[in-house]
Amino acid sequence: MPGPLLEVRDLKTQFSTPEGVVKAVDGVSFELHAGETLGIVGESGCGKSVTALSIMRLVPRPGRIVGGQVLFEGRDLAKLSNAQMQEIRGESIAMIFQDPMTSLNPVFRVGWQVSEPLLLHRSMPQAKALQGGTIMLGRVGIPSPETRARDFPHHFSGGMRQRAMIAMGLTTTPPVLIADEPTTALDVTIQAQILDLLRNANREFGTATILITHNLGVVAGMCERVMVMYAGRIVESGLTTDVFAHPKHPYTWSLLRSIPRLDAERHEPLKPIEGMPPDLIAPPPGCAFHPRCPFKVERCSRDVPALNRVGDQLAACWVTQSGVELKDA
Amino acid sequence: MLAKYLVRRVLATIPVVIGVTLITFMLMHVTAGSYIPGIDLNPNLKAEDVEAIKRYLGLDRPLYIQYITWLAGVGHGDFGRSMIDGSLVSSHIFDRLPATLELTITAILLGILISIPLGVTGALRRGSKIDHALTAMSVGGFAIPAFWLGLLLILVFSVQLQAWGLPFLPSGGVTTPGLGGGDLLDRVVHLILPATVLSFVYLSIWSRFTRSSMLEVLSQDYVRTARAKGMTERRVVYMHALRNAVIPLVTLVGLELPALVSGGLVVEVVFSWPGIGKLLYERALQTDYTTVLGITTFAALLVVAGNLLADILYALLDPRIRYA
Amino acid sequence: MITPLPVDAPAVPAPLVPGRPARGYWKEATGRLRRNRIGVTSGLVLLFFVVVAVTSPLLAAVFTQADPRHIDLLNTFLPPFSPHHILGTDDLGRDELTRMLYGAQVSMGIGFLSVGVALTIGAGVGLLAGYYGGLLDGLLMRFVDIILAVPAIFLFILMSILFKPNTITLALIIASVGWGSIARLVRGEVLSVRTRDFMIATRALGASDARLILRHLLPNVLHVLIVFGSLYLGQVVLIEAALDFLGLGISPATPSWGNMLTNSETFFFHSSWLVIWPGVTIFVTVLAANLFGNAIRDAFDPRLR
Repeated sequence: MPGPLLEVRDLKTQFSTPEGVVKAVDGVSFELHAGETLGIVGESGCGKSVTALSIMRLVPRPGRIVGGQVLFEGRDLAKLSNAQMQEIRGESIAMIFQDPMTSLNPVFRVGWQVSEPLLLHRSMPQAKALQGGTIMLGRVGIPSPETRARDFPHHFSGGMRQRAMIAMGLTTTPPVLIADEPTTALDVTIQAQILDLLRNANREFGTATILITHNLGVVAGMCERVMVMYAGRIVESGLTTDVFAHPKHPYTWSLLRSIPRLDAERHEPLKPIEGMPPDLIAPPPGCAFHPRCPFKVERCSRDVPALNRVGDQLAACWVTQSGVELKDA
Repeated sequence: MLAKYLVRRVLATIPVVIGVTLITFMLMHVTAGSYIPGIDLNPNLKAEDVEAIKRYLGLDRPLYIQYITWLAGVGHGDFGRSMIDGSLVSSHIFDRLPATLELTITAILLGILISIPLGVTGALRRGSKIDHALTAMSVGGFAIPAFWLGLLLILVFSVQLQAWGLPFLPSGGVTTPGLGGGDLLDRVVHLILPATVLSFVYLSIWSRFTRSSMLEVLSQDYVRTARAKGMTERRVVYMHALRNAVIPLVTLVGLELPALVSGGLVVEVVFSWPGIGKLLYERALQTDYTTVLGITTFAALLVVAGNLLADILYALLDPRIRYA
Repeated sequence: MITPLPVDAPAVPAPLVPGRPARGYWKEATGRLRRNRIGVTSGLVLLFFVVVAVTSPLLAAVFTQADPRHIDLLNTFLPPFSPHHILGTDDLGRDELTRMLYGAQVSMGIGFLSVGVALTIGAGVGLLAGYYGGLLDGLLMRFVDIILAVPAIFLFILMSILFKPNTITLALIIASVGWGSIARLVRGEVLSVRTRDFMIATRALGASDARLILRHLLPNVLHVLIVFGSLYLGQVVLIEAALDFLGLGISPATPSWGNMLTNSETFFFHSSWLVIWPGVTIFVTVLAANLFGNAIRDAFDPRLR
């Protein structure tokens, strides 16, 4: 097996605010291999989007990457000059965002915006780039792309705009595509179409995809591997089938029980996770999840658990690492 | 549809035009009444002759008829006659208009061309020393009386430089009188001081506005999209952000037009600039009500037209309106 | 959600307590104002000019012992720091400092009177238009549009030659245009307050229109009035000075910072201090008013920064 395409090692990103330092990403490590689809799940504010923005080096102020490495094809992105990083963005790693209504520039034609990565990275003449962009618009399912390419974003529906965003990401057929909550802002029926589109892109262009979502259903349908994040750390990671069948972290376990499942063996009541998401300025000592954890032991509030092998996957939990099974009380 | 938008904008100005003209007409009626400009100049007229002339001019008719007749005249470029010398107000206006347009348009362009880069710099370096300096400058600029700034600039750049035997800037007029004056360079040299003074206040307002507008645009999702495409920060700012940040500035400039024309009057007086503002001032000192009101009507209509122009420009710049 | 941060959370929420802003809101705002060094300084500068304006005859009697109208053709254009004339004398030999002290009366008097009148009319019109809406709103706001479409100085000049103004009439002339922008602002604020639940609830309780407007709407737009009043004060001082300078303001017999600059181009090349003193004073006053206004705005609504 060849080395990973993208490797994140001990990434730490923090925001300095008047209230204190927010540790949005606190020591995240993972690998992404060519052509695979990796899901990152977690609640709002768990650091999944900041992880993605850190890879792109697009963390907004007052955020800052304070430690760790992001290796793309062996090169540390954190050490590149701005000019070198600009060559990576859009060319090697493309990113699409949550809200298609606001992610397109209202004053430029859609076709031009979609073809701009070609203009930037392939030094193509404008006309040729536009042609490439138009073709890509057609491939993401925009009807009569030649006409629609001349439209402005406000002529497009939300679903169409997200298609255009995906086309924009794919024009350069980058090895890595990061999709940050690509379906959250869309109607349910459109969501499925967009996910299909991402799946096809992954198959057709061999684009490795990082799919960031809070929706476990989306991960189940899309991703080979999944990482679960909580309070800026990865708490569980493994093959999607393993993690979903036998969660080894109480947070994953609780998450899975908080959503309705079609394959439930019996009629289980939904159980929301008790308590509040953690304060990232002053996180709880030990395991950040322990105040909400139904399985917590004395050690959980004292020491931070590392991400270690538990069964078929990795989990950061003192309870499961000591061999205890997660079961209803 | 652009056409629909434009029609709507034009229709919306109609009540303003009627309102403005109604106010000036009423003021005219109150101040000058049924006084016939120039009638004093002929001592041979008897009372019944004056009555006949009034009947002939329609001054015995109901007020609203007089208003409509007068408004129709305004529509044809007739702004009445001076009550002092009976001369046509419109001919004065059109003599003086080019100078006013020259000064105002130069000041607007100067203001925009300088304030946009200042505002962008402030936004990009928010919180830096440069940003604080620009903020302080605009706060200060906003508090300087324009006429006093004009006096100071004359004192320094005309009087003092001349006293030191250095090249100096003219302190008044559009061109140097007499032979040799009037070429392009001469005109530009005469424009420098008045245009600087007139644009100074707006530099403060517009650069502040550009700064905050730019800051808002820079936090927009589409700017992040642009960055994610992998382009230089220059391209992000000047290609993707600036256009969005500047569109609302057009509206602001349009809204400032009345104030700009007001400021123009003061500047014209300070720099003996022979525009309509100076004309109004001269006539005001002679209490020539009809001329003052004629010019006021004209200036108000000019502002309304300028606002309409700003709306059209806005529509052309913003595809959300152009291709709605 | 990109930044999982409370960075953009408003430090202080808008008043949510039914009826009127909570006492705590005002207390907090004044507390913030007191901690704002620029705000406090500019407030003190304004206060200084107000005190000078009120006590100018007294100050003149104590410090300069001169009459602002006393012409002394033997001592014209005395430079600053001359004996008995700290700031020098003008083209007619009048004591510059005395005239500056009396000038404060004009600027501050007209400034505050004009602001008061404009705020009263503007608030009244804005409250009525915003509260009743419909035809009344349409008519009033179109009227405001029309007033604001005419370059203001043209109207000032016109009224000035009509009325030959004194301090009070000049203040009224300036206010006759200034209320328009205030009415617009207040109306906008009323429209946003009107739809809040407490307004609907209070109306459901059967409160009269007058009570709703005065007891419930007015307190909620008061901060707009205070902020705009301070910013407008600077504008009035500028307008008044310009009109006086043009010889279209108050009678030249009354010394004012503006008319002290009239015709100064005839002598400023040899006596530039006569241009400097009044101009700098106007500048400082307007600057203080603007900074004070900004400070109040920041204190009342930190989100507007």
